[in-house]
Amino acid sequence: MRKKRCAVFWTLGLSVVFMSFLCLFVGSSHMSIKDCFLALLGKGTDASIRIIRNIRIPRVLAALIAGAGLSAAGLVMQTTLNNAMASPSTLGVSNAAVFGANLSIIAFSGGFLSTGNNLSSYTVGINPYATGIIAFAFSVLSVLLILGMCRLRSFSPGAVVLAGIAVGSVWTAATTVLQFYATDVGLSAAVIWSFGDLGRATYETDLIMFLAVAAALSVFSLMAWKYNALLSGESTAISLGVSVSSLRFVSLLLASLVTAVCVSFLGIIGFVGIICPHITKKLLGQDHRVSLPASALTGSLLLLCADTLSRSLGNGSALPVGAITSLLGAPFFLAIIFGKRGNINA
Amino acid sequence: MLEIKNLHFRYSKQLPEVLCGIDLTLEKGEIGILLGKNGAGKSTLFKTILGIERPSSGSVELNSVLLNSVSPAQRAKYIAYVPQNVTFGDLSVFDTVMTGRISYFGVKAGKEDYDAVRAALDEMGLSGFADRSADRLSGGEKQKVAIARAIVGNPRLIIFDEPTGNLDLANERLLIEEAEKLAKTYGISILCSLHDLNEAAELGDKFFFMKDGAIRYAGGKELFTEDVIEDIYGVRVRVNHIGNQILITGGTSK
Repeated sequence: MRKKRCAVFWTLGLSVVFMSFLCLFVGSSHMSIKDCFLALLGKGTDASIRIIRNIRIPRVLAALIAGAGLSAAGLVMQTTLNNAMASPSTLGVSNAAVFGANLSIIAFSGGFLSTGNNLSSYTVGINPYATGIIAFAFSVLSVLLILGMCRLRSFSPGAVVLAGIAVGSVWTAATTVLQFYATDVGLSAAVIWSFGDLGRATYETDLIMFLAVAAALSVFSLMAWKYNALLSGESTAISLGVSVSSLRFVSLLLASLVTAVCVSFLGIIGFVGIICPHITKKLLGQDHRVSLPASALTGSLLLLCADTLSRSLGNGSALPVGAITSLLGAPFFLAIIFGKRGNINA
Repeated sequence: MLEIKNLHFRYSKQLPEVLCGIDLTLEKGEIGILLGKNGAGKSTLFKTILGIERPSSGSVELNSVLLNSVSPAQRAKYIAYVPQNVTFGDLSVFDTVMTGRISYFGVKAGKEDYDAVRAALDEMGLSGFADRSADRLSGGEKQKVAIARAIVGNPRLIIFDEPTGNLDLANERLLIEEAEKLAKTYGISILCSLHDLNEAAELGDKFFFMKDGAIRYAGGKELFTEDVIEDIYGVRVRVNHIGNQILITGGTSK
């Protein structure tokens, strides 16, 4: 078992390193590998150095960080809610973020019908992070609202999942109302925002995401044994000395905050948080001391692969990485579920 | 010594009481058996002792420590639990047993935790299974893993909830022998719920017959009479006391 774990970790680690470099070499500017290397060393043309330093490196970092965060958050959600279909967005975080972003784009940037349907009346906010910040604020509001309500039911998994669905549908409905009154320009801007896109990443957003993901991963790792105890059921975990409702509260809060930060800066990147934990559990079992870091690596790897593919297929403009993760992930996921040893565990 | 005094519990103020003033005493190394129909309150009583449910009133004391007011981790050092349906997730036997030490180490297991797990595995004859996946063992082996996890934290009391429900005859015997050894050799008190009256009479030192959330009868083997069993289960059976053994046969419902 130890040998298998080592082999899987080495393979994942080396694949992440390899894909990170490959991701740096792929893009619409069709730079050669040599140009990319020179630019990395600061020796190429100004344009190539700018492309590598200002566009591709922040993008690769975003894939590494967001992939790790979303995947680890998904694993923790699945364990704490004892639900194989739980994901980082179970608490309606993505729906709330989309509403916040729509509000920012449509209402605050002049995208309402009353302001006319042309680009000249569409004002771009002064702060380039405004949309992300408002999306984040609504995500956090949604999480706190749901967790506050679920406290009344001692964070029972059923109550959390159902509350997430209910509150998420409220945000979706509110988004539909906003979009109904939006101009064509406002609507397309809002819809484009919701596509997951790593191209929006900057060093500043990467740093913020890194801090959130690193903090969450550290806390998750400290609680790895408690997650292991929870695999035996809630009653047994309590009898083993685990305060299950506190564990659920902290885990759901951190997982949702990580998701909120990633979604607010990058848009919706679905499926990473569901598929990667399942792949990891299939490969290495459910010991969270192992599955948490492995899940983070798998998430990074999937997002790097998806981003590389999205930029290779986009013919000059990258396809939304969120669509690629689902296109790649769904068939693979189905293969796992219906495969030979396809028993899916939470 | 386990001492439960006037324990009451209800799920909400609108609902009737599930436990209505339970008084129960169990000495060190004694095996107490809870008996009664489904819904009599046995599992709820276990949940309140284990801290899974908070009692409305009353107290649970173990060796003079009031368990109502201690943290879950502190409580876990005193009481261990062996559930009826054992599931472990995809963890190795060693790691599963290690979860029984969480209340001691919290974040990272130390040398004494590893030593304790090895000793518990040895005790249960599971040393050769340490690296196997606990969830893929047979029913009897899983019960052994659950007992190893229970004893690894050196508890004063172990609660068994219907431990023989899913076991074949051979594993049932094994489990009864193991429970007797824990009580008599190590002085661990055992509180156990069982449905099989013959099995209960064989294993127990003390018996608590529950009905409608209350203990109707408490005492020794002399309680196994046709009238008591009819009052508790609503079934008329034949009870034969043969020396120290009790044989309960037949049965017609009222």
